[in-house]
Amino acid sequence: MSLWNRFKNFIRKPHNLILVLLFAALFFLTMFPLLSLLKDSFLVHPSEVRSIKGSKAGDLTLYHWYKVFLDGKNSRNIFYRPLWNTIRVSLGSCFIAISMGGSVAWLVTRSNIRFKSFISTVFVFPYIMPAWTLAMGWLNVFRNSHIGGARGLFTAVTGIPTPNWLAYGAIPITVVLGLHYAPFAYILVGGILRNMDANLEEAATLLHASRWKIIRKITLPIVMPAILSTFLLTFASTMSAFAVPAFLGTPVRYFVITTQLFRTLNGMNPGYGYIIAVVMIAIGCAILAFNQWITGKRKSYTTITGKSSQISLVDLRGFRNILSGAIIGILVFIALMPLVSFAVESFTMVSGRYALSNFTAEFWIGDGRVNVANGEPGILRNKYIYLGLWNSVKLSVSCALAAGTLGVLCGYAVVKGKMYRLSTFVNNLAFFPYLMPAMAFGAIYLSMFSKRNLFIPSLYGTFFLLVLVGTVKYLPFASRAGVNAMMQLSGEIEEAALIQGVGWWKRMTRIIFPIQKSSFLSGYLLPFISCMRELSLFILLITPANRILTTMLFQYNEKGWSQYANAINLLIIIVVVAFNIGVNKLTGASIDKGIGG
Amino acid sequence: MKKWFLLLTCAGLAGMLLNAAPSAELIEAAKKEGALSVYTTTSRVSGSAKKFEAMYGIKVTSASMKDGELVEKVSTELTGNVYGADLILAQDGARIYGELINPGYVVNYVPEDMKKLMPPEDQDPFVFAYYNTVFIFNNETTKEPVIKNVWELTEPQWKNRVQFKDPNVAGVNMNFLTMLLSPEWTDKLAAAYKERYGKDYAGEYENAAYGWIAGFFANAVLGNSDTTISENVGTKKQEKLLLGLFVLAKARYEESKDLALQPLPDTVPFAGFYFPTIALLTKNAKNPNAAKLFLDYLMTEEGFKPWSVDVGTYSGNPTVPANKDDLEFTYWRTRLVPENAAFTYENRAKMEEFINDIINK
Repeated sequence: MSLWNRFKNFIRKPHNLILVLLFAALFFLTMFPLLSLLKDSFLVHPSEVRSIKGSKAGDLTLYHWYKVFLDGKNSRNIFYRPLWNTIRVSLGSCFIAISMGGSVAWLVTRSNIRFKSFISTVFVFPYIMPAWTLAMGWLNVFRNSHIGGARGLFTAVTGIPTPNWLAYGAIPITVVLGLHYAPFAYILVGGILRNMDANLEEAATLLHASRWKIIRKITLPIVMPAILSTFLLTFASTMSAFAVPAFLGTPVRYFVITTQLFRTLNGMNPGYGYIIAVVMIAIGCAILAFNQWITGKRKSYTTITGKSSQISLVDLRGFRNILSGAIIGILVFIALMPLVSFAVESFTMVSGRYALSNFTAEFWIGDGRVNVANGEPGILRNKYIYLGLWNSVKLSVSCALAAGTLGVLCGYAVVKGKMYRLSTFVNNLAFFPYLMPAMAFGAIYLSMFSKRNLFIPSLYGTFFLLVLVGTVKYLPFASRAGVNAMMQLSGEIEEAALIQGVGWWKRMTRIIFPIQKSSFLSGYLLPFISCMRELSLFILLITPANRILTTMLFQYNEKGWSQYANAINLLIIIVVVAFNIGVNKLTGASIDKGIGG
Repeated sequence: MKKWFLLLTCAGLAGMLLNAAPSAELIEAAKKEGALSVYTTTSRVSGSAKKFEAMYGIKVTSASMKDGELVEKVSTELTGNVYGADLILAQDGARIYGELINPGYVVNYVPEDMKKLMPPEDQDPFVFAYYNTVFIFNNETTKEPVIKNVWELTEPQWKNRVQFKDPNVAGVNMNFLTMLLSPEWTDKLAAAYKERYGKDYAGEYENAAYGWIAGFFANAVLGNSDTTISENVGTKKQEKLLLGLFVLAKARYEESKDLALQPLPDTVPFAGFYFPTIALLTKNAKNPNAAKLFLDYLMTEEGFKPWSVDVGTYSGNPTVPANKDDLEFTYWRTRLVPENAAFTYENRAKMEEFINDIINK
């Protein structure tokens, strides 16, 4: 058989065709930008002509590489110090996230703690809220009049001015990121615990092993590789977090690698920024490789062998009420308090003064007073807010539909074609965007699509570009959901239909999708939620005609109009939470099924 | 004094006559075009836009952003020949000069009647308005000027009590620092040093300008927004008296936010700095005539209302009076460091490196 005929034969099967198409598209959308990013790190950009003496825009140069890595004091300022800060902050927040998320996950799956459904609903709140939510909440409580403007709630109530180290810098960033990603760890660890074969634990119980011994000798060793992989994923996420360090670090000049990236890309030296982005991607890849090595090596320990029907729950006895109460208390503090503080802030005229006479609805429904924020109307009467809201929803729905559908196809093709190496390629390519820090990803798309490139016209300023970048960036969530769902599905079901002569389209829509509906749908839900609360991915690509709520919020906040910012934040959270609950009630899909699977 | 008054009155009268109306052809051409898109660093444009819409029935969409972001956007859009804005009101002379004017991405337009009224150096690029940034202190406990010489701000008693917007966030602030490197201002700083300490500057830095900046930054707290800084400085019942270098326009919050703020116009050798907001048409504007008509309108007293209701902004049109609680721009101008686009463009990289070095300490 000639090569061409073999190829024709290969491509005749729908899943193979999908594999080939996905490979081509993903290669173009992920690898090609990477090359373009590398190229940009060697070019002189228009704003750099002055610093690089005797050059003109577009010249090749090693200047950026030299400055970032080898120029002593300057390199320390541009790169090494922020990198070191990033590592410290990320390690610290990983520790907080995993110990907190892990303990709650264990309590919910393995003990008789009270209010389980409340805990598991509310605990994921911080994760579905925009990343800066907790940072803003933190500032609302702890900010001091020394740097952050009006004093915060803590000082207002107690009269004790907060020191700088508590209000800004490494400690608050670590704590806030840790709290933000605790639900992420909870989802991952919870998934592992829920799917773990409980037979071993049961056996140990029969042998009268003590609870503590079971945890130490059985549960922990089994979940260890998974915990390690959770650690790596959490580390990758905290490392690329931008909004939290931007809010809490910049006032005291505490820079991490993402805030440094933003500064350089938005400032006079984009070349530095492109190199920083390359470094971040390299770190991300190293983490992924390490992760695959770990999970691959110890696969036999983590296999899901079907759930044991009776997991006997640990009786917390005397601690039951205390622990339940403590967890509810913590949840109220980290998940509900910020919301309350936004509401309060958005209704105060002079921030920091909590007196009844100071309350106003001006920032919600006022028509704008000249002596307050340049006569900006309240957010419910502001046409640009509605434009932003509409754009945000439109963008999130488009990204979710595109990424979700691609995720289903990807899962189908990857699992069906798993005997080919191409399938592994596609699977990894689809996951690759996860490793790219959102802002670097935005920067690459900016550099690639702001001018005519190959056969593609300049897409900058179009809505399509935003949808494209969002879809590719969130594909990892959807493709993971898709692959997991397909893995659980026995091939015989589809074969039975195939024998009956049922067409591919009908097989997909009538059999495969309905069976794994809730898993697939979570592949739609996650991109939607991520997109609604996304800032760093879009911040470099947004044009005024396409502005979205999060970029507007960031602007209001930068201007120091905190009441508007708080009000918009509340608006975003309401939309996200309402959507999440709505989808959950209608279809049973929920966010905790997405990543943990 | 009398002569000045006469001159101003004449100019005012001439202004009124000349301000009569834009040409009928321009209005007609503008009405044929679509909705006007404006990128701006001052969000008050939306106030004038409303009235403009009512007058001519031409819709205006405005988007406000930070100075660097605006230059970046426009430059990206024009590199890809993507239409974004017709008219820009931009700040940060160095970058406008280097990244928008030099590559030919923007078109200068001077309203007909402004050609005679405005000084030639304000006409290319066209100055829509001036802003000033001055030393302002919290006057709750004392109305007496708390400093007389800028070198005082480098002394230990001001440690952490001076606030300034991060020059990496605000290009105009970086330009101001860059301007201090010019021979004129380096000399003035050296003279002020001698006045204060009775000897010539001989510190660890190359000259008095670098020396002052390093000392100032060692004491300064850097902020992200002038609004926040004005609140930090002006909040009442603070333990220590704070001082800031921020735009005078923020002093308007004094009443609505109950702040205690007072400028220090007589500080030696400068009381702060000023910078222009430049109005330019983009090269790929879809509605150039509407943009021109809108700019004509912004240059009238009526069109400038959203700014002149407050202190701290001054129309490029000298016949439009400043806010009645403020002093005329001619008063401020002599006390402040100006922004020279060509000089800052040439020397800013040097200053950026210096700043990044000292703020990371």
